[in-house]
Amino acid sequence: MSPLTAARVLVVEDEPAVSRALKTNLTGHGFQVKTAETGRQALEEYLRWHPDLLLLDLGLPDMDGLDVIREVRGQASTPIVVLSVRGGERDKVAALDLGADDYLTKPFGVEELLARIRVALRHAARPGSGAAPLFRSGDLEVDLERRQVRVGGSEVHLTPMEYDLLKAFVTHPDKVLTDRMLLQQVWGPEYGSEAHYLHVYVARLRKKIEVDPQKPRHLLTEPGVGYRFVSEE
Amino acid sequence: MARLSRFVFSRPWVGYAAALALTALITGLIALVREAIDVANISMLYLVAVLASAVAFGTGPAIVASVAAFFAFDLFFVEPTYTLTVSNAEEWLDLGLLLMTGTITGYLAAALRGRARTAQRREREAAVLYDVVRLMNDPDVNSALAVVAERLRRELKLAAVLIHFEEGAPVAATAAAGEAEALHLARRFSSTPSLILGPGAAPTADQRAAPGRWIRVVSPQVRSLRYLPGQERLRKVAVNLQGWQIGSIFLVQRPGFPPLGDSDDRLLSAVANQLGLTIERLRLRAEAMEAEILRRTDELKTALLNAVSHDLRTPLSSIIASAGSLLQEDVDWTGEERRDFAHAIEDEAQRLNRLVGNLLNLSRIEAGSLRPDKGWYDFGALVDDVLGRLRPLTANHSLVVDVPDDLPPVLLDYVEIDEVLSNLIENVAKYTPAGTEIRVAARQVNGELEAEVADRGPGIPPDALPHLFEPFYRISKAGQPKGTGLGLAVAKGIVEAHGGRIWAENRAEGGARFAFTLPLNPPYGAGASDGEHRP
Repeated sequence: MSPLTAARVLVVEDEPAVSRALKTNLTGHGFQVKTAETGRQALEEYLRWHPDLLLLDLGLPDMDGLDVIREVRGQASTPIVVLSVRGGERDKVAALDLGADDYLTKPFGVEELLARIRVALRHAARPGSGAAPLFRSGDLEVDLERRQVRVGGSEVHLTPMEYDLLKAFVTHPDKVLTDRMLLQQVWGPEYGSEAHYLHVYVARLRKKIEVDPQKPRHLLTEPGVGYRFVSEE
Repeated sequence: MARLSRFVFSRPWVGYAAALALTALITGLIALVREAIDVANISMLYLVAVLASAVAFGTGPAIVASVAAFFAFDLFFVEPTYTLTVSNAEEWLDLGLLLMTGTITGYLAAALRGRARTAQRREREAAVLYDVVRLMNDPDVNSALAVVAERLRRELKLAAVLIHFEEGAPVAATAAAGEAEALHLARRFSSTPSLILGPGAAPTADQRAAPGRWIRVVSPQVRSLRYLPGQERLRKVAVNLQGWQIGSIFLVQRPGFPPLGDSDDRLLSAVANQLGLTIERLRLRAEAMEAEILRRTDELKTALLNAVSHDLRTPLSSIIASAGSLLQEDVDWTGEERRDFAHAIEDEAQRLNRLVGNLLNLSRIEAGSLRPDKGWYDFGALVDDVLGRLRPLTANHSLVVDVPDDLPPVLLDYVEIDEVLSNLIENVAKYTPAGTEIRVAARQVNGELEAEVADRGPGIPPDALPHLFEPFYRISKAGQPKGTGLGLAVAKGIVEAHGGRIWAENRAEGGARFAFTLPLNPPYGAGASDGEHRP
């Protein structure tokens, strides 16, 4: 067991059944778990207990889940994984743009939940883009110093724009990135709504770095939210 | 002309003065003619003055003209002149005839004039009413009322007209037309509860209810009827419906204009009546629509209840059974068996989740609250995404994908169109035998994107084709899996909310084809087509 699994997780959820199931499950996987039912309770518990991660339902009885994210982000960069329902894509994007690290669409499976928590904790443990100069995932290799990209050993030529986009992905492996985040990182801070450029470039990038662009393994779409670069061992 | 007649109407002496002046003029004329030649019955020239007075001013002035002619002729032309005495009996007869002919002609001409005026007035009333009826056909009541107000204002040459319906009337609307200052006046009086006074004493209940009655409006705070600036220019006409006052027409006259006359009164009365009837018609139409909506909602609810009782209970039964088995302590389940139960619970729960999602979507579509959150997307990538997610479902079919690389980006709600494609593919995968082909394709046709999901299955019975996209419709056939009848209805709602069309057909070579279109306009800009672009 990695030391990550001893981490403290604060579950903020007003449905007792969901809350209980999450607690049982996470405790079973070695996490320390506390639960809160309201936003106010969550913020109190956050200050008192200093959890390593927040599992936050956006629909709370007393306050908007987005406000909880604002409060927490005003103090620390504790990872936040948001729980939301299908159709709540706007909320998810708003939460991610406010600084939440990831999201899960209810109902979700245990595997998915654990994977998201692990990724969020790993990012927190390795802050910033202190990525290694050589990024490797499956048969994809990105040399961040020489700006070189290889797929299965042979070099792939990327335009500067495509390279910048790929770099944004590999410096945040396994993390969901909203359209706005990607646009601002690659095109510049004044962009945010020109998502069609992004979609076109992602499609092109897939053709160059995916073995089968129709069955992408790295660049996955998060419907209505953005994209996620999935790394492989 | 209207201005002249109004001027004369308000000052009756003008007609009499004009009649006298005309008589004097004719007297002068006769004097001139008699200088030159001697004409018998020259007195008949006076009939010109009588007729003119009758036509222009009515019976009174005509009679005055003929009496004046009698005296003038006697005074100036009958021997002995300059006296009212008449020397010979023949002259008496002439004068008598002059008076009689003048009076009768004047009376007849005036009656004719009156009839012509009535006809004119009726024509005007009919024209205005026709316009009101025509204008009120506008589905937007407020704008229709505003146009009617403006029409009335121009017709009656008023400073402002304000039509106001009371709260609780079938429509709550206020519409106005006119000059700002006058409108302000009308608004001030229409918004405060007002005491209604007739000309002179307080009106009776009958008068109050009578449409078209000119009523002075006085603010109730002003006990002593103290003068309020502009109040004398304001008039109010009640709009009644089955004896209840449902609204008012407020009229503000231009300063210094004479009060409106009888014919205006009748016109307003007719317009007020017409407005009342129109509002009633609107109310009835709204009621009928509401009833229709209720009926359809009711139908949907019944269908929903049927679906819920069957489609929700089936997965729930197997979940409850599996969970119950796991909880049994007297049986020693093997690890394999436990996993089977857990899988059953998970699968059935997923099925329930999809069903609930579709039900939610359908209710949003039915309520008209489906608002696509659109962005520009690469359609090919969307197809890849959906197929990737549905791979377990299509594993036993041979999948053919035909989406060209050069499709322009499409404006769509990613999550919703994902839903449409998923529903179509699931549907096809469910009803076609394993091993057959499923074709997913997209192309550009006539400025639209046309996407299709086609199979090589048994096809769709022709009598089912028109109903395929109705909620809860399903083709019941022995030995076939049963759907919920929701997927295609949801797909239809989503595609239509995107401004596209969706349909199903049988392929000539066998199998069914489901297709939908999405608009490709506004044309996607030159943007990221080739080379490097920073937007």
